[in-house]
Amino acid sequence: MKIIIVGAGEVGFHIAQRLSGENQDVVLIDKDPDKVNFINEELDVQAIVGSGTSPGMLRNSGIAEADMLIAATDSDEVNLIACVLARQLSSYTIKVARLRNPEYLEMKDLLGQEALGIDHIINPESVMVDTIQSLMSVPGASDVIDFVEGRVKLIGLAIHEGSPLAGRKLMTLGNDAGRLLVGAIVRGDQVVIPSGADTIQADDLIYVVSRSDDLHNILHSLGIRDEPLRRVIIVGGGQTGRGLARALDGRKISTKLIDRDPQRCADLAQSLGKVLVINGDGTDRDLLVEESIENVDFLVAITGDEESNVLISLLARGLGARKTITRVNKLSYIPLVSSIGLQSIVSSRLSAIRAILQHIRRGKIISVAPLKGEHAEAIEAEALSTSDIVNVPLSKIKFPKGTLVGAIVRGDEIIIPRGDSIIYDKDRLIIFVLRKAIPKLEKLLTVKLDYF
Amino acid sequence: MHVKPLLNFLGILVLVLGLSMAMPLAVSLYYGEGDAGAFLISSAAALIPGLALFLLTRRHGRPALGHRDGVAIVTFGWITAGLVGTLPYLISGSIPGLTNAYFESISGFTTTGASILSEIEGLPKGILLWRSLTQWFGGMGIIVLSVAILPFLGIGGMQLYKAEVPSPVVDKLKPRISDTAKTLWKVYVLITFLEILLLLAGGMSLFESACHAFATLPTGGFSPKNASIAHYDSAYFDGVVLVFMLLAGINFSLHYRMIKGDPVSWFVDPEFRVFMGLFAFFTLTVTLDVYGSIYESVIEAFRFASFQVGSILTTTGFATADFDTWPAYSRLVLLLSMFLGGMAGSTGGGMKIMRVLLLVKHAYREVFRFIHPRAVTQVKLGRKTVPDEVLSSIWGFFLLFTGLFIVASFAMAALGLDLITAFSSVAASIGNIGPGLAGVGPVRNYYDIPMAGKWILMFCMLLGRLEIYTVIVLMIPEYWKK
Repeated sequence: MKIIIVGAGEVGFHIAQRLSGENQDVVLIDKDPDKVNFINEELDVQAIVGSGTSPGMLRNSGIAEADMLIAATDSDEVNLIACVLARQLSSYTIKVARLRNPEYLEMKDLLGQEALGIDHIINPESVMVDTIQSLMSVPGASDVIDFVEGRVKLIGLAIHEGSPLAGRKLMTLGNDAGRLLVGAIVRGDQVVIPSGADTIQADDLIYVVSRSDDLHNILHSLGIRDEPLRRVIIVGGGQTGRGLARALDGRKISTKLIDRDPQRCADLAQSLGKVLVINGDGTDRDLLVEESIENVDFLVAITGDEESNVLISLLARGLGARKTITRVNKLSYIPLVSSIGLQSIVSSRLSAIRAILQHIRRGKIISVAPLKGEHAEAIEAEALSTSDIVNVPLSKIKFPKGTLVGAIVRGDEIIIPRGDSIIYDKDRLIIFVLRKAIPKLEKLLTVKLDYF
Repeated sequence: MHVKPLLNFLGILVLVLGLSMAMPLAVSLYYGEGDAGAFLISSAAALIPGLALFLLTRRHGRPALGHRDGVAIVTFGWITAGLVGTLPYLISGSIPGLTNAYFESISGFTTTGASILSEIEGLPKGILLWRSLTQWFGGMGIIVLSVAILPFLGIGGMQLYKAEVPSPVVDKLKPRISDTAKTLWKVYVLITFLEILLLLAGGMSLFESACHAFATLPTGGFSPKNASIAHYDSAYFDGVVLVFMLLAGINFSLHYRMIKGDPVSWFVDPEFRVFMGLFAFFTLTVTLDVYGSIYESVIEAFRFASFQVGSILTTTGFATADFDTWPAYSRLVLLLSMFLGGMAGSTGGGMKIMRVLLLVKHAYREVFRFIHPRAVTQVKLGRKTVPDEVLSSIWGFFLLFTGLFIVASFAMAALGLDLITAFSSVAASIGNIGPGLAGVGPVRNYYDIPMAGKWILMFCMLLGRLEIYTVIVLMIPEYWKK
């Protein structure tokens, strides 16, 4: 696949890195010669100095043969123009625009296929808000990913010393609360796609698939506290903070939003209803105590400054907040931050990558979620009648090494699969896969060529 | 530096070279001159340790290769390739002694074309083809070839590619580096075929056409004939070989663009214009210089002058005349051409036209600043501004190139060679040309150079082919610090 990316900022760089690692042909366009040089040295992609809004530049970059154009600069307008030009130059190329202005997002029809020809709009900030909300929906988990319209949840559980799961072999799991399938184990910076013989160890992060309805029972049986959400403090009133506050506004949750900038606070106070906007510094211990941090279920640290976010989360932990969610952008920081006990981490880069990846995967992929540490993904896919995987028992399918079917969803039924389970046409599958096995899995999921 | 990936890569390289001996093996079986056994043994002697090395170091977890790994793999890769190249010479007994065999082999891979052989035509055809083949592999680059055929190298491939490709800036033709390498090799093979066809059309045998084409495209210069191209004494062959030498001296990215349907890409390139301008100017003045003093007719003078200027400027080293007997001006032009070399991104050696051009432009800018001290000036190539880091890297290259040339010339003189032989042998080696002047002139060879001198020249060839930095960085203690 040939993919053109406009804009070598954080998002552009990480998507390029990810895709070039999967042996896609990536061309990256940016105005800044220093960035372009750096990327040419660092990544196996073709980086060119130029403007994504120049038709000549787009043509030179080979838009005519490109399968996809991703406009990921910081400017919505540049991204829109790049997509509009791309539509004129090559109508078959799939156009993806990163847009941040909420007004554009609310009126997707204006930008869609008919009008401007943009195929997909991605917005890392709103993906991040969704991620934070799913994390809040299961307070006991350190990672929560929704599949099949939220009916199946993939949750990441941190295993502490003394947890009932520590030291147990996977095949001995499964109890009255329903079968429990561990799809991936994150151990240090390694990801294991486990078999029944693997053992869960302390300090692992395990990914478990479960029906959303059973979740409460399962967590309860594992001894994980799972109380409803009452009080939330958000630190940082940027795009994400505002979006999150708006989402929580009106629910029966007491929400406080802290930001340093008085002007921004005034804006926020005007546009938000019940949310209490506080002008102050999130790293200020007295302020947190004053706002009764000890009773808070979630402290969400999502300022633009990741070092502050880490400090605020640690401080809140120390002061008695039950859980923290920390925004960390540098992917290389994530293992470090996890190791000091901050398990729930959101990142705009991961969110952007996640949003874009699902449009790139072949086969009928419905959504894609990268697991912590970036070495593995959970994929939701639809089984196609023409592919090799339908109508045969699972044990007969030659899945590539490093993949595991975590769940089969058929209508309302959610099946945790065994070797004799059979996948039928139109079933939804949730598959855990190591990154290096992705191309082989894609091949397996896609349609066999019919012989005429 | 990661040792395991290095060994793993060397294993692959040795394997590839072992496999490539199949071609001379087939030729020697066909002609039945008794060297087939030597190729069988050489091939086995390469394949077995190559395979063992590859398998033993296979599990290295593939750490991302950095700049440091890139230069080490490339330099050691070339030294190893040189060693593998000696096997057929030693086992068949064509070239006695490790020093001589290694000289012939490294001179082949670095596309220098300096030989220690005086009686070339007596050698079996398999060996002759192997000489040309080593040049052909070395021209576009054995590492670039590996990057092209081993796509899994990924980003590590970029580091290797950069360390081997003869250009101050890397031109990515395709999004992925393995595709870029593949594209360049395709263009290279295509032009090689074209030359073989044209030589065949002039009545040269298939074997000799292939040998000459394999030595022209990499600007190598090994010929299966004692007298090189002069053997045929044919204006047609002179013309064909000259055209292909010039093609080989042009940036292969430009050839690619040309083939892709951008016919003006050659002519708008500023480096190309300078290259052709220099070729035309040198040819003209050398023609005038040798007309009357050596050749009776203008046509003859032009024919030999143009061929010799083209051969030395592109650093090929084929000969149609004994230019060592030419007047001083002509010899000086040829000696100077050894330093200039072909275009960046070509298979030619020397300092490359682009570097010289940028140095001149940079010097002009400094002078210009005397007149307009507050002018904002940039060094431009075509419409592109050349960043200052590139310029300072080129100045560093220039200093190292000339510095190493001087040191090596002193060493050669200290070994007892006469003045002109001493510095022209070093110039012909570091510039990857082949024949020099006086004792190493076009009708002589390198057999009589003392053993220590041969090793110095081999080192110069490697420095020249890998463009100094890649080799010299390994000799800096800082490199080896953990």
